[in-house]
Amino acid sequence: MTDTRRDSDLRLVLGLGALALASVALGPYILPTFLINSLLRAILYAAVALTVDVLWGYTGILTFGQSAFFGIGAYAVGLVFTHMGFSASHALLALVLSLVVSASTALLVGWLSFYPGASPLYASVVTLALPIVVTQILFSAGTFTGSSSGLSGFESFDISIEIWFWISGTFLVLLTGVAWLFVRSDAGRMLVAIRENEARCEYLGISVSRLKILLLMAAALVAALSGYLFASMQMVVAPEYAGFVFGTELVIWVALGGRGSLVGPVLGTLFIDVGSAYLSGNLPYVWKLLVGVAFVVVIVAFPGGLLPLPMALLRRLRGIPPPARGRGPMLELAEPRALPGLRGDSASALVLEGVCKNFGSLRVLDGISFRAGRGELLSVVGPNGAGKTTLMRCISDGAERSRGRVLINGFDTGRLPPERCVAFGIGRKFQTANTFDSLTVAQSLRIARSRLERPWLLHCSRTLALPDAALQVIRATGLDEHLDMAVRHLSHGQKQALELAMVLALEPNVLLLDEPTAGLTKAERTLIGRILRDLTEHHGLCILLVEHDLDFVREVSSRVIVLHQGQILLDATVAEVVESELVRSIYAGVGSHGESPS
Amino acid sequence: MSATVLDIITTAALLYAVAAGLLIVFGVMKIINFAHGAFLTVGGYAALAVTHWGLNPWFSLPAAFVAGCACGMLIERVVMRPLYSRPLDAILATWGLGIILGQLITLAFGREVQFVRSPLAGTMNFLGTAYSEYRLSVVLAAAVLAGALGLALNGTRLGLNTRAVIMNENLARALGIDSARVRFGTFSLGAGLASLAGALITPLSSVDLNMGVPWLVNAFMLVLVSGVSLISLGIACLVLGGAQVLVSTYLNPILGGLTIVVLAALLLRLRPKGFSRD
Amino acid sequence: MRLKLHTLACTTVLALGWATGQNAVAADPIKIGVPVGLSGANSVVAPSVVQSAELAVEEINARGGVLGRPLELEVADDGSGAAGAKKAFDSLIYQKKVDVLISMETSAARNAGLPIVTRGKTPFIYTSFYEGRSCNKYLYVDAWVPDQQVAPIVDFFRTTYKAKTYFLIGSDYAFGRGMLQFTRGYIEKTGGKVVGEEYLPMDGSDWTAIVSKLKAAGPDALVTSTAGGAPNVTLTKQLRAAGVKLPYGNLAVDEGTAKSMGPDAEGIYISGSYFTNVDGVKNKEFLAAMQKKFGTGLKTPNDLSVPQYEAVYLYKAAVEKAGSTAADKVVPLLGQVSFEGPRGLIRMNKQRHAPLTMYLGQVQKDGGIKILESFKDVDPGDQCPSLK
Repeated sequence: MTDTRRDSDLRLVLGLGALALASVALGPYILPTFLINSLLRAILYAAVALTVDVLWGYTGILTFGQSAFFGIGAYAVGLVFTHMGFSASHALLALVLSLVVSASTALLVGWLSFYPGASPLYASVVTLALPIVVTQILFSAGTFTGSSSGLSGFESFDISIEIWFWISGTFLVLLTGVAWLFVRSDAGRMLVAIRENEARCEYLGISVSRLKILLLMAAALVAALSGYLFASMQMVVAPEYAGFVFGTELVIWVALGGRGSLVGPVLGTLFIDVGSAYLSGNLPYVWKLLVGVAFVVVIVAFPGGLLPLPMALLRRLRGIPPPARGRGPMLELAEPRALPGLRGDSASALVLEGVCKNFGSLRVLDGISFRAGRGELLSVVGPNGAGKTTLMRCISDGAERSRGRVLINGFDTGRLPPERCVAFGIGRKFQTANTFDSLTVAQSLRIARSRLERPWLLHCSRTLALPDAALQVIRATGLDEHLDMAVRHLSHGQKQALELAMVLALEPNVLLLDEPTAGLTKAERTLIGRILRDLTEHHGLCILLVEHDLDFVREVSSRVIVLHQGQILLDATVAEVVESELVRSIYAGVGSHGESPS
Repeated sequence: MSATVLDIITTAALLYAVAAGLLIVFGVMKIINFAHGAFLTVGGYAALAVTHWGLNPWFSLPAAFVAGCACGMLIERVVMRPLYSRPLDAILATWGLGIILGQLITLAFGREVQFVRSPLAGTMNFLGTAYSEYRLSVVLAAAVLAGALGLALNGTRLGLNTRAVIMNENLARALGIDSARVRFGTFSLGAGLASLAGALITPLSSVDLNMGVPWLVNAFMLVLVSGVSLISLGIACLVLGGAQVLVSTYLNPILGGLTIVVLAALLLRLRPKGFSRD
Repeated sequence: MRLKLHTLACTTVLALGWATGQNAVAADPIKIGVPVGLSGANSVVAPSVVQSAELAVEEINARGGVLGRPLELEVADDGSGAAGAKKAFDSLIYQKKVDVLISMETSAARNAGLPIVTRGKTPFIYTSFYEGRSCNKYLYVDAWVPDQQVAPIVDFFRTTYKAKTYFLIGSDYAFGRGMLQFTRGYIEKTGGKVVGEEYLPMDGSDWTAIVSKLKAAGPDALVTSTAGGAPNVTLTKQLRAAGVKLPYGNLAVDEGTAKSMGPDAEGIYISGSYFTNVDGVKNKEFLAAMQKKFGTGLKTPNDLSVPQYEAVYLYKAAVEKAGSTAADKVVPLLGQVSFEGPRGLIRMNKQRHAPLTMYLGQVQKDGGIKILESFKDVDPGDQCPSLK
């Protein structure tokens, strides 16, 4: 079933691609010159719109700056051909220039926008500033760039319009096909994971910042290549092609066509740009108003854009059910491997030395020090506000600590971000189930594996290899029956189990669990308890568990730390803690359930 | 030299007036209002209407404020409310609204560049420098604005509620604060303030559709580096606005135009908290 | 869908053509394409340009058209920029199949259109003053270039105010830089000195630092060349607010803007090839005809719309001389024919450009222009030495 589904998908995309290529081939013989000329431009705009869709629709990076890269590609052509003349070697030089300059600009912009903790708003504002800065540079370079007038009248490839149409049409069809394969591939799912839950990705050892920068660079290269083709065939460059108005137009086309659908933005761009060539001459005054109104209506009422509307109608008319989901990939056992974390020769799996955390003048953690060895299940208990969740954060994210040291398997985590700490062998499960809502169970697990197994760029693997511990959790909770189900349809308990399995898929040997049983049924709780004991006893994991449920703690723990007002009050065996008057008095004074402070 | 100091102070005052409305919307809604530029333009055209009716030019300030608030109220109700859970979409919607507002203004007022009478035309001698009276009066206006906003946020019930929502919306809602009303209030106030700023800059500039655009990106950057504090905003305006004037004066006005954007982006990269204190 | 759209557009065009053909001479019309900035930066002045073209076409059709064929206008919005111009030129040349392009546009739009003009082999008369040196086999220009406009102002400042030191302010775009570059050269050639040259981005409106620099430099005279519209206004207002009272020559202000700027514009020196109050019967007849045709909807004729009017007549003359609208015949003749219009006798016979009578004017208290001097047949200089 899975295979037929996937094959039919592939057949569909091949069929559509062949159809599109055939239209490209026949276009010049059928369509009037005016339409061909209009389409020529719109096709290259659509290629850039495609990059906006991958960045925004899939990854959630709202960008107004793709026009700048288009402009860079175009100006490389304009400048080289104007000042050095046209020749084959100069065309190559222009190509190299356009790619190198756009990629390095993207690197700079990515470095500015995508640092750990940067808000997506900030990235958007930076992408808005980029075309403004680029335009300003073009303006002020005087006759070299032609300032506001741009460059025109340079010699270029001596190719007829028809051939240009074939070149750019094929370029767009292939690009759309590659993008289509990419976003559906194992690697492509990572884009959605980043959009949905950046923090979870980081704690799965994925360097989100690096991926975003790489993605931006790839998008910049495609946009620059489109600009290169554009300037070569139109023989004109002007600052507005790099400007922010064009940048925002791209976003409008993508939104109207249907973000996150690839085909929608391409069709949206072709229709709107070519349509405006026909209509805006007749209604210059209201054209912008119409586009503005359509845009706001789509954003508010149809965030999926306009393409899904006729598609749904078509489906209903032809009685085709919405795409059904298959069974997902085959599960298999991952080869045992030497884990990076285990290479440390430290006797203790986890060591904390004088860890402090201040919020302003408020000290939430005050000199926390302890050690935990392999095979140990250490519970951290304490009333609300004791700093338990903060402690988890300070262990797993170096930037969170105000003072103190954390060693994981003997490696000092310093001020490293979570994704680097993961490499030392630590895995963190969050307090509330922290998953990727729109991905399936199998896709989520695959993303958790991506640190250890590089995902395929253009297709989906049919098998999913997981370590024993993760397989155990999945099978015990029945998740293996729902591998192809979207996570948002899972029950709360299943989500908790999935997140645990995802963390285990990292093959950590230090596991941080923040209330893994909150909101679970008695049966589920028992199950989790059994799994945890198994992990420590048979897999030698060191588990640090934050729990409110003292019964559960008593059942599973080998040792308990009592945290109170940011300090360790007691570090003892289960029996000692249970008998402690002190602990009882603390718990009596404060409620025992509810949210920990953030 | 003293002219440069006055340039810095008056530039900072203008930037402060322009960015204040954006800041409170950002604080409460956690979104950058891309329609801010359009609201500035609304203020400019309100001032134009006042001039057309032959009223005292000072009257354009309250008129602009009222016009801006009215636009803000309408937009918050119709467009912004469904988008609270989708902040990036909210940004886009405000962008689209900017386009629509601009086109509607064109239909009503025509496409020409228009002019507003300045309430104060001449120069005055200020510490030995002949300096534009109007620019100096803008400093006064910005100070009054800052004072009034500070009082409103700290001294009124709505202001206290607003601060509570800025700090922690979930907690505020749990305490029985009607956060939807606070959002409505701040978006309208933000629009009103933007419009007021538009009226304030018109005597120095022209009234046209794009009058808000040059201010927009600078205002975004200033708000991002200020966090959500009006005091940090003041410092940011003074430091970055000052840098802009210095670069324009001693290097090149074109570089000066990029100073705020570039410095703010670097500042945020190296110190993500920007000018806010903690 | 795409095809349908196309058919729809064609039908509309056919219907329109049929409707206008009814009251004109019953023959195949000669189509004049007018790509113009109905939206964007040129949207303020574009309606006046379209109006003067409409008057020219109406007058010619009323006298029997050209070679017995009526003229027909095809106006297309170029959005005042390159991307819009690409669409407009494409649409006019390949869809509307016009015989000639006559238009006032931004330099970016003109540059973007030229490759299409070359490919479509269509004569193109450009009717906007510009920074000069745009050369193409199919291109003619009947408006002024810096070589013609700058001299009157600088000469006047030198002789009347004994100005030796000048300060130049411009918007950072091709026209702004081109004009001031020429101005600097001319000032230095005539023994003056430029003590400052400053630019602000084209959409910039905060001239604070530049005004302070100007005051610190203390020149004898000021020459500005900003983008039209907003930057021009903001600069002038901020100069006045800062109390600057130097002799002030503005290379970019037009009559209409000066009028609406009110008292701030008083005393500004401007130079151009047309003001509404230039002497001559032709101008009076032109103004009266415009008034009669457009009444209260009339957009004040100006230095951009009048060349448009004259260019239609120049094209008519060339077609009549060639006896055909074939581009290869009409293009060489465009440089030989002449027309006596509101600006005097126009002939585009100097390397595709036109020697023009230039005027120096000063803005009066009421916003009107007082013409101080006129300079006959000022040569456009060497614009396109490789073309004849």
